[in-house]
Amino acid sequence: MLIASAGNVLVWIVWIVAAFACLGSGIAVVSFSNPFYSALALIGNLGSLAVLYLLLNAEFVAAAQVLVYAGAVMVMFLFVIAYIGPRTESPWMGGPSWQAAGAVLAAGALLVEIVVVIGLKASGHLAHSEHVDQTFGTPAYIGRLFLTDHLLAFEITSIVLLVAAIGGVILGAHSRRSPEEVPSLR
Amino acid sequence: MTALLGPEISWYLAVSGFLFATGALGVLLRRNPLIVLLSLEIMLNGGNLALIGFSRNLGDGGGQIFALAVMAVAASEVVVGLGLVVALNRKRVTLDVDRLNTLRG
Amino acid sequence: MVYGAWICLLSPLVAACAITLGGTRQSRRAAGYLATASCFVAFAGAVAAFIGLLGRQGGDRQIISTAWTWITGGSYQSGLQILIDPLSVFMMLVVSGVGALIVWYSIGYMDGDDEERRYFAYMALFVFSMLLLVQAGNLLLLLAGWGMVGLSSYLLIGYWHERPSAVAAAKKAFVMNAIGDATMALAFFLLIQKGNSLEFGILGGQFSSTVANLVALGLLGGAVAKSAQIPLHTWLPDAMEGPTPVSALIHAATMVTAGVYLIVRTHAIFEQAPKIADLAAGLGALTLLVAGLIALVQVDIKRVIAYSTMSQIGYMFVGAGVGSYPNAMFHLMTHAFFKALLFMAAGIVIHALVNEQDIRKMGGLRQLAPKTYWAFLIGSLALVGIFPFAGFFSKDSILAAAMAHGGWYGYLLWAAGLIGTLLTGLYTFRLFFIVWWGEPSAFVREHFHPLRRDVVGISLAIPVGVLAVLSVVGGWIQFSPWWHPVETWLQTVAEPLVSPESWQEWLSIALSLLLGLSGIAVAWSIYGAKRLAVPRIAWAQRTLEHKFWFDEAYDAVFYEPAVFFANLLRRGIEEPIISDSGRDLGDDTRDLGGLVARAQTGLVRTYVLAIASSVAVLAVVFVIVK
Repeated sequence: MLIASAGNVLVWIVWIVAAFACLGSGIAVVSFSNPFYSALALIGNLGSLAVLYLLLNAEFVAAAQVLVYAGAVMVMFLFVIAYIGPRTESPWMGGPSWQAAGAVLAAGALLVEIVVVIGLKASGHLAHSEHVDQTFGTPAYIGRLFLTDHLLAFEITSIVLLVAAIGGVILGAHSRRSPEEVPSLR
Repeated sequence: MTALLGPEISWYLAVSGFLFATGALGVLLRRNPLIVLLSLEIMLNGGNLALIGFSRNLGDGGGQIFALAVMAVAASEVVVGLGLVVALNRKRVTLDVDRLNTLRG
Repeated sequence: MVYGAWICLLSPLVAACAITLGGTRQSRRAAGYLATASCFVAFAGAVAAFIGLLGRQGGDRQIISTAWTWITGGSYQSGLQILIDPLSVFMMLVVSGVGALIVWYSIGYMDGDDEERRYFAYMALFVFSMLLLVQAGNLLLLLAGWGMVGLSSYLLIGYWHERPSAVAAAKKAFVMNAIGDATMALAFFLLIQKGNSLEFGILGGQFSSTVANLVALGLLGGAVAKSAQIPLHTWLPDAMEGPTPVSALIHAATMVTAGVYLIVRTHAIFEQAPKIADLAAGLGALTLLVAGLIALVQVDIKRVIAYSTMSQIGYMFVGAGVGSYPNAMFHLMTHAFFKALLFMAAGIVIHALVNEQDIRKMGGLRQLAPKTYWAFLIGSLALVGIFPFAGFFSKDSILAAAMAHGGWYGYLLWAAGLIGTLLTGLYTFRLFFIVWWGEPSAFVREHFHPLRRDVVGISLAIPVGVLAVLSVVGGWIQFSPWWHPVETWLQTVAEPLVSPESWQEWLSIALSLLLGLSGIAVAWSIYGAKRLAVPRIAWAQRTLEHKFWFDEAYDAVFYEPAVFFANLLRRGIEEPIISDSGRDLGDDTRDLGGLVARAQTGLVRTYVLAIASSVAVLAVVFVIVK
């Protein structure tokens, strides 16, 4: 597992830094009470993930992650958070008491299960990774796949994006009427 | 042809699992819808990391394609979700997930 | 001739259907005319069949005409067939002839009733059913006619369905008939099992004595129920709730005689089961005595005549039981004449006295309704069996046959029959003197109104007149010691088992005439000339008035336990388990729904928690399975 070589050591160091950044920013996202800070933490998360992708020979996906996710989606998030303003009336947490306990339990269970599976069962399968050539993960590689083996995914994804765009326009359209009374919710 | 340098795939998967659990915790505990959406993004990214990891492990590009599709879907979902939040805000509705509970029995 | 028989059978059915389908589109009188016409057409058909049979020789007189194969079940087959032989033609003539007269009479009697059309439809249905019964070519079709006759009887007894007493009487009649139907069906099952056929011929086949006894017993059960003999007799007096023509037709002339017909038709099996035949005769003798005694205290004019019917059918059962089949049928015929006559004359009285039936309110009607008076007198004399009226010729031959049956049992039956004659004279003329003689009572003076002279009056008067004539001359067809065409006619179908000696015949004639006249004399002295007082024996009076406690006994033995058991089931099973369970099921479902509804908190986070938990659990499951 710990194959010590020069290139390897460098990779290990980068990996450790990126992994901890990822985990830390992930915890930060769910912890901050100010959504603005959470969004910024998410951007950090996305960046560290891009690094991890690069380590996995997924160059195009890493680039797309930074361009699309961090560059477009998070900017949109920040726009909306800024637009909504400092209306953080909602408490950090609350609701039925069993909700919190149940949440921690469920999330913890998921984590434990994943770790257990990785640790116990799948070690044999996961021990050996394939050797890939230089073209693995390059844009050309992805492009070829999109247009040959996974054409359907490509097309459907485009439709989904179209639908989302339409939905966004509809949801965002200004109503002609004056803002109504807040409907009572309880 | 190069071998995988650095940690084995299982480490990446552990990080991915942690991210997923963290995002789940955020979705389950926070009451601000924006934070919930952000936590959802965390979960999706965790899944993406697992996909990319396996793609490298098996030498199959399909995992990366899948990850790109997930990214596109996540973007779409954020668009709609944020549209909803904006609309709620325009109607002066309290931005609290627990207050949006008219679908009750 | 075959066509004649089919026309006879189907014409009342056509009328019943036409009246039913016509509904209110036809006038009430039209329904009456249609029904009457159909019965006369049936009579014409019967006459045609009769003439056709006359043209043939003795042994050749049996024609079976099949319409189509009705039922095929395994190796058993049954056709829709009618049988034209001397016995069936005999019954066809009686049923359709007397039936036509009575339906004609009903036009006048039921005039003004709101639902006349329903009445005539039912009457036509009844005539059809009775004809089906007597013309049936096999036992299965006979059972069909049997059941339909019971149905028509139920419909007609309960005709005035607003009266609870009428409805109760109809139910009683039907239930008791159903007991008879059940025993008959059991007998038929045995026959199918042993003989694989329900043709009449099978009855002559060889059966073990147990089987023969069981079959005969089952048939006897049906006959006893239908003919209102002890022990299934309690329905007949109650059946007087129906209109008087119904009582005349169904409960005097035709339906109640179906039991006698059945025994004569199936005599082959009774001959194989002599104990059962003796039982039949014994039940007949018992009934004729009991009914005669009860009739002595009845105060309803129709009930007296009803008990008289029961008693006379007892005679017929005695005749059939000892094997004197032609005589039993002959008495059936004459009885039809004079009993229908008596009922119809009583009906005229009832109509004239604004539907009053209590004889204690009547009296002295002799001057007010002279023609009816003579009709009633003729009927009464025929009933008691006085020469030269119809009953004389038929009843005495039965007595002689009983004597010829031999042994102490035969003499016992003979003695019972003679005592019965005395009782007949007594109760008949008690009724006669109370109603017709003396001064008109207060009630009569106040309420009597004579017959109208229009269609209604004619339709009431002419059938009565015809039957009066028949009651006089009807018996002259046969006088046993000297000429017996009836016996010869029916011999090919049912050979009589006994041939009484001449001295037996004359002795019976003399004694029965003597006893009948003495009965009349006693009745005259008590009720007519009022020389003697009515003997007052309290316990006897009470017993007779309660009809020998039969109704009370049946109530205690059958009804009360059944009601008790039903209540038990209701309280123990029906309510807690079945009906309550329905309600509890609803309540429980609602509670369960309420419980489940608590999961619908409305909080999105809860729902997500549920999803996350399920995923966690499923992951474990997958890991373990894998």
